[in-house]
Amino acid sequence: MSDYLLDVKQINKRFGGLHAVRDVNLQVRRGEIVGILGPNGAGKTTLFNLLTGFIPPDEGTVNFQGRSIRGLKPHKIVNLGVARTFQLCRPFVGMSVIENVLVGSLGPRVSDVDLGARAMHLLSEVGLAEKADTPSELLSYGDLRRLEIARALATDPELLLLDEPFAGLGSAEIESISALIRKLHAEKNLTILLIEHKLREFMQLVSRVVALDFGEVIAEGVPAEIVSHPRVIEAYIGKQTPEALA
Amino acid sequence: MEILIYGAVTSAIYAMLAVGFTLIFGVARVLNLAHGSFYALGAYGAYVLTSIAGLPLWLAAILAVAGVSLFGVLVEKILIRPLRYSQLGVLMITLAIALVVEQSLFLTFGSEYRNVPAFVDTKINMGGVDVAGQRLLTLVVAGVSIAVLYLFIQRTRLGSAILAISQDADAAKYMGIPSDRIFSLVMAISAALAALAGILAGPFLSVQPSMHLLPIVKAFAIVVVGGLGSIPGSILAAFMLGYAETIVAYEISTSWTEIVSVLATLLMLVFRPAGIFGKRTAF
Amino acid sequence: MAALGSLDKLSSTAGLVSLCLLAVLPVLVGGSYLVGVLTVAAIYGIWAVSWDFMSGLTGRENFGHSLFIGVGAYAAGFLNVQMGLGPWWSLPASMVLASFFGLLLGFPTLRLKGPYFALAMLSAAVIMQRLMLIFWEYTGGEEGIQDITPLIKNHLHYYWFVLCVLGLTTWLFAWLARSRWGLILRAIKGDEATCMAAGLPITTYKIISLIISAAFAGLGGALYAHYQLQVSPQLFAVVTSITIITMVYVGGIGTIFGPVGGALLLTLMTEGLRNFGEWRLMIYSVLLILILFYLPNGVVAPIWKKIRAMLTSSVQGTGAQRPTDKATGEA
Repeated sequence: MSDYLLDVKQINKRFGGLHAVRDVNLQVRRGEIVGILGPNGAGKTTLFNLLTGFIPPDEGTVNFQGRSIRGLKPHKIVNLGVARTFQLCRPFVGMSVIENVLVGSLGPRVSDVDLGARAMHLLSEVGLAEKADTPSELLSYGDLRRLEIARALATDPELLLLDEPFAGLGSAEIESISALIRKLHAEKNLTILLIEHKLREFMQLVSRVVALDFGEVIAEGVPAEIVSHPRVIEAYIGKQTPEALA
Repeated sequence: MEILIYGAVTSAIYAMLAVGFTLIFGVARVLNLAHGSFYALGAYGAYVLTSIAGLPLWLAAILAVAGVSLFGVLVEKILIRPLRYSQLGVLMITLAIALVVEQSLFLTFGSEYRNVPAFVDTKINMGGVDVAGQRLLTLVVAGVSIAVLYLFIQRTRLGSAILAISQDADAAKYMGIPSDRIFSLVMAISAALAALAGILAGPFLSVQPSMHLLPIVKAFAIVVVGGLGSIPGSILAAFMLGYAETIVAYEISTSWTEIVSVLATLLMLVFRPAGIFGKRTAF
Repeated sequence: MAALGSLDKLSSTAGLVSLCLLAVLPVLVGGSYLVGVLTVAAIYGIWAVSWDFMSGLTGRENFGHSLFIGVGAYAAGFLNVQMGLGPWWSLPASMVLASFFGLLLGFPTLRLKGPYFALAMLSAAVIMQRLMLIFWEYTGGEEGIQDITPLIKNHLHYYWFVLCVLGLTTWLFAWLARSRWGLILRAIKGDEATCMAAGLPITTYKIISLIISAAFAGLGGALYAHYQLQVSPQLFAVVTSITIITMVYVGGIGTIFGPVGGALLLTLMTEGLRNFGEWRLMIYSVLLILILFYLPNGVVAPIWKKIRAMLTSSVQGTGAQRPTDKATGEA
């Protein structure tokens, strides 16, 4: 019986010669917003894929609410209460915004209420209510992110994994999505695990950071500590993202 | 002994078909359902050029192979390339092309079996078994052509370009490799191999308009077993399938040979979809 | 981008009216020729609509639909001639047997991304055709099974029966397409990974859709067997699958009702092209190529949408209806 909502121990994944994720340990308590930080190629999305069943881990354990979810298919993991968004938003082409959200509502966690009304409610929470009938391919990047979040919320998750929600967005959009995340966290008591490689936006949002580089955890702590952690700085300067430190 | 030789011949033909099929997929991500049509056109081309135009076989063969290659290049450029973004679009258009070719052959030549002359008419005795010289020739030519292809890819600059594109088409483009021209080249090679197989096998396998279908089925089975996009995989799987079929034909009955490819395909898809040497998993 | 035709009152009425017209047509025109042509057209309609439900909605194109058709037809032949059972047994038997093949082929292939499903179905149909020839002692070889007893002797009555089956089948698929099933299948077409992330067991849905699609294709096969009174390996031919796919594309892929129109249109066109005899198949293939390039949304469905738009705006005075209700599960 762990009081961690998500308990990941010694998780490993190799792709041929590349050790993409190496001995990663991660514990997330209910109600936290935890950030996973790291330059491109650090293994963050791979980690998400391992946690959500899209890729099987080579070694390690993944426990959610005390039970092992390692090796389960993605949809089963979602039905246990873990939802994720994708870095490259892929809406359901050919379907409207509200239809996209409706698809997320069809799982067993959602009781059979008026799904249409529930979907509209979710859309208004993320700020897409007026665009309910728009074809999803026509949305702007920022709106696509909101749609992704709405779709993930539609599954009624306890744990929400957000994969680079700010990527490709301008600072105004980032502010507003950041505010959305904070609001959802507060109102729904969601536990959130968030990947980003841009430091600034992320630091104000999360309560704790796990920093990755080359698939390994190099530092862990509150944002203030991480920003001045020598290995983290080295990881960023070593790559070419000076803007990340801004 | 018979099994050894006949199995080898069958495998050789399958290898020529499968390598071409997997090559164009590995490089251009095109699953060419008209691949069997190249095989058919090669055989029919040899037939037409020898019996109607009266050319000597060696000349007919060269012209037929060249003609089919050209046809392949044109088809790729005009009909396939515009639909490259959609894998299913490519499947549909190549299937439609295959049918158009089949119907054209049917309308022109009717559905009776045609006679493609053999290069070698004599029988050769190998280890106590009389084997048609043509079959041995097929084996030899297949081996040589695949070896040449292998050397070409490994040793020449053009070959390296092909490898580069098959690994990452966009990156190759940024490095200045003219991918469109390479696609045409690969298509030409692929079609030529298939046409050559048709010309060699024509004398002892059936030549009629729907002859393009089985090569596709076999090629598909082979690349599933060997791994889509892997040339060594295709060769190995071609031999596995060729020998499996020959053994079944001799030990059980010829009727059951078809089931081999189906079974192999389904089993492989269930247990190891990537194939033996599959580079990318199917998931 | 295939938009779903919602089963609103206008479409349903139009469908019903068309069915009635079709039923009455041969009575007005007279002679048995038209009845025959329309019977075949209706059966093609069943095949086309069953293909569209699976492949049109999910985008996983099935190149071996003829397999299910042939299986259903041969089932009818076997039961009726070889085993001497009454012809009505063919109907459930064909559906069950075709469903079995749907499961057998769907299970290994639909789990996977990529072209495996399409190619495996194609291969399976080709192999089945060869098997029918190879095991000729059991299947009658080239000539197949002859002397099948008809279900209903009167051609006109049998035609009406087939029309009813077509109507029910189309209604069923349209209803499914409008329900959660349709939403999920279209989502699978949109993006499978996102669908999985939405908590849906997509492989299960794909396989079940294939089984349903196969069952009705098989049913059509049995109906065809009891019309032609014989079955032959030609039923398994790739050409059959391509013809059906062409019909679906002409009708409008993913629209369910469009393919029925496409089937009718093309069957009638084929009859009109009878003089071209052997060129028929060639024309089909070329037609498919042209449609893929120039009219990927088809002909029938877009025309119907225009008609419907004109009718609704003239009746209501406003333009668009609010389409959200088509997506919610009203059930």
